[in-house]
Amino acid sequence: MLLHTLNRSPLSPVLDQALAGMGPEDRLLLIEDGVIGALPAQQARYASVAGRVYALHEDLVSRGLLALCDEAVRVVDIEGFVALTEECERTVSWY
Amino acid sequence: MQDDTRQGDLLVILRHAPHGSSWLKEGLDVALVAAAFDRRVTLLFMGEGITALLEGQQAGPLGQKGTAPTLAMLEMYDIDSLLVEKRGMEALGLSDEQFMLPVQGMDADRIAELLASHALVLNF
Repeated sequence: MLLHTLNRSPLSPVLDQALAGMGPEDRLLLIEDGVIGALPAQQARYASVAGRVYALHEDLVSRGLLALCDEAVRVVDIEGFVALTEECERTVSWY
Repeated sequence: MQDDTRQGDLLVILRHAPHGSSWLKEGLDVALVAAAFDRRVTLLFMGEGITALLEGQQAGPLGQKGTAPTLAMLEMYDIDSLLVEKRGMEALGLSDEQFMLPVQGMDADRIAELLASHALVLNF
């Protein structure tokens, strides 16, 4: 199981590259501009990895997006980020 | 003179989200400088740049300055023409009630007109 971090918004083609690289158990952590993907209107973009999408609390807060976050997205803080890197074999960055 | 001023109208397109890069900040800085030199400035928010308008933004986790304080100053510089790409708003499921400033929605076919009608267009 790998952890994939993505710092681009769902409007970026980089999301498709990240999704293409994800295995059936892999987790996706949205960071920086990636947290725009936590908006409910964009959830269909992440259908292939449903239930395995995380978003970084600190980045949601600074962008005013925390209250707008979809329920299906799991919000983790920096410590949660570290915990994910421990659970996963390796981390792959998409940017 | 009036004609000269109109020819100098500036359109600044903002397509990048706050915090993720410095593009948004730089676009806004250019808009403020131009307005300080008496250019008439119009801002067009497109794509993820639209999230710059959201209420409740804060400094970044490491204390980086956001762009919301700059947006709050636009009125002081007489920049009151704030346009938003409707398609981008729909894609992100946002409505103008969630924005910190009053904006005008733009249909896709009006955007090309907008670019054609401005002598100066800067894309950020």
